[in-house]
Amino acid sequence: MTRIVCIGNSLIPGDAAGSHVYERLLRAGLPHGVELVEGGLAGLNLLPFFDDGRRVVLVDTVSGLAASGDVELFDCAPALGRTDGAYYGHGGGLSCLFGVLPAVADGPLPEILLVGMERPAGESAVQTAADMCLDLAWGGRSLEPRPLS
Amino acid sequence: MGTRTIIDMPLNRAEGDLEIRVEVDDGVVTDAWSAGTMYRGFENIMTGRGALDGLVITPRICGICTTSHLTAAVLALESLLGVQPPDQAIRLRNVALMTEHVQSDIRQAVLMYMVDFANAAHAGNPLHEEAVRRFSPLKGDKCINVIRETKKVLEIIAIIGGQWPHSSFMVPGGVVHFPERSDIIRCRHILQRYRGWYEHQVLGCSIERWRDIGSTDQLYAWCEENASQNDSIVGFFLRFCRSAGLDAIGMGAGGYLSFGGLDMPRKTRVKGSRGKLIPAGFHHGGKGHRFDQARIAEHIASSWFEGYDGGLHPSEGLTRPYASGNEGGRYSWAKAPRYDGHPAETGPLAEMMVAGNELFADLTATIGPSAMVRELARLVRPAFLLEAIELWLEEIQQNDKTEFYVPPLDIPDGSGVGLIQAARGALGHWVSISRGRIDRYQIVTPTSWNGSPRDSAGRRGPWEEALIGTAVRDPANPVEVGHVIRSFDPCLVCSVHTLTAGRSLGRAVFGV
Repeated sequence: MTRIVCIGNSLIPGDAAGSHVYERLLRAGLPHGVELVEGGLAGLNLLPFFDDGRRVVLVDTVSGLAASGDVELFDCAPALGRTDGAYYGHGGGLSCLFGVLPAVADGPLPEILLVGMERPAGESAVQTAADMCLDLAWGGRSLEPRPLS
Repeated sequence: MGTRTIIDMPLNRAEGDLEIRVEVDDGVVTDAWSAGTMYRGFENIMTGRGALDGLVITPRICGICTTSHLTAAVLALESLLGVQPPDQAIRLRNVALMTEHVQSDIRQAVLMYMVDFANAAHAGNPLHEEAVRRFSPLKGDKCINVIRETKKVLEIIAIIGGQWPHSSFMVPGGVVHFPERSDIIRCRHILQRYRGWYEHQVLGCSIERWRDIGSTDQLYAWCEENASQNDSIVGFFLRFCRSAGLDAIGMGAGGYLSFGGLDMPRKTRVKGSRGKLIPAGFHHGGKGHRFDQARIAEHIASSWFEGYDGGLHPSEGLTRPYASGNEGGRYSWAKAPRYDGHPAETGPLAEMMVAGNELFADLTATIGPSAMVRELARLVRPAFLLEAIELWLEEIQQNDKTEFYVPPLDIPDGSGVGLIQAARGALGHWVSISRGRIDRYQIVTPTSWNGSPRDSAGRRGPWEEALIGTAVRDPANPVEVGHVIRSFDPCLVCSVHTLTAGRSLGRAVFGV
């Protein structure tokens, strides 16, 4: 059982890639049992999606984690519980969520992967990320995730 | 000879981009400028789109106040149509909006405001060690506790709206879906749990006991009444604020604005005033005035916009970005809304003042509308909302077979306005429709009121004014400025959120 959560601001071009991936996955169709979530601007408000044991695949733009325009798959486990330097704000994103997740989750944490599109993420990155999500949704794993650190 | 310093302070813990510049003479703020550093332009995004598109686009203006924007957008269309939704739809809308308020109030107070109590600038305060244990960013035990509980209460909005954030479940004529009876029962259980937690952890007493407090003296006596109240989040907040002098800084200029909010169903046991739970009004010069939206005008003299002099009503407003010219005179992407020509503060304190709340009337009279009083109003607002949510959920369950949607006519040409109280204060959407398309859309947000730059007459905005006279002990760590600004709960606009290598989040913050 997998839940794909696409994060992005469709109204800000530099941050819209996750929203574009969501639209493509919506059109592509996903196998039974795979849930697709428009995460939008949410940070901590995504917490309930980690509570039912489903594997969570996050899709978002990243910065400084890969070559420009590249898409990489990350294993988020190393980032969980790290709060150094993190602040909660209205704009607080995944780092805040990862920081507090172990302390506030109901039950055991699921496997958490991140499909990260290095900024600036253009058309090619969006398609690659969508393909990667579809591969994960259908049970494949063509790429080994990199530890997120 | 005294020293004069200019401090530029990013406040990116606020929504989007906000920078405060203060001039400090001999350790005291003598002038202030509030700059929204990001062009929003939602009004221009809306122009030319379908009449209903505001219901989908405007909830995405903000990741926190998403239900507020949806509510204002649907009310604007309903005012144009002249329709009133069925009682059940009004109740469902209100429950969703109020749930957004009661989680936002506590998250802001603990995670964004009291987090500064753990700032190293307060190391000499005898309560600092306790503050660090409770409120350290994303680590303090109260922070973790608040995140856990507010996470659960938001399930109510997801149940009613199908998703949260960015739901579009409100449409002209009602709501698109009526929850199953079992879902309503679940909402009631979630709310009961939240209320229990709020009373136990935040107040340290029952809501009924809290609402008995009617004066400053009674408030301070309440704090010392027993260990539960003294040790609660509100009790600690009061003790820390008084010991750190936050009861004496950030004094507002005295104009309080509420657009009013939460329409009353035709039949309900909830008690409202003039058709709303939160009354509309303008409190100025020590007395209340009837609210008239025709008295609103937006100025752009200090904003990076062009097109007119003086002020324009939002229904006639123009949003033409102009990032050059009059350098030094223009310094913000925010406009400067004024009510009847006056700068106006909005938010929970304004709601309390307009509603004639005894405690806050006495607090502002005896110690002044300080940062402490402003933040306290936010922290205790759920005590005035939770009971109404409970009653409306009960009424939704009792009337579950009645209608929740009345199909309206096609949207005709014309203009409409949706005015509500969002979590951060007065929010207005003004829409004009022509041939089925949006011809004009203007949005005035709470932070536009509170964080406005100077107007055409050179008058400062509310939090610019509230900063004047604030003592800043260390220009390298001007925590006092943060205390004042964050008491207004600044929220300019949602912006980029990016995970960055080597650090937690790619944004500078005003640090601990």
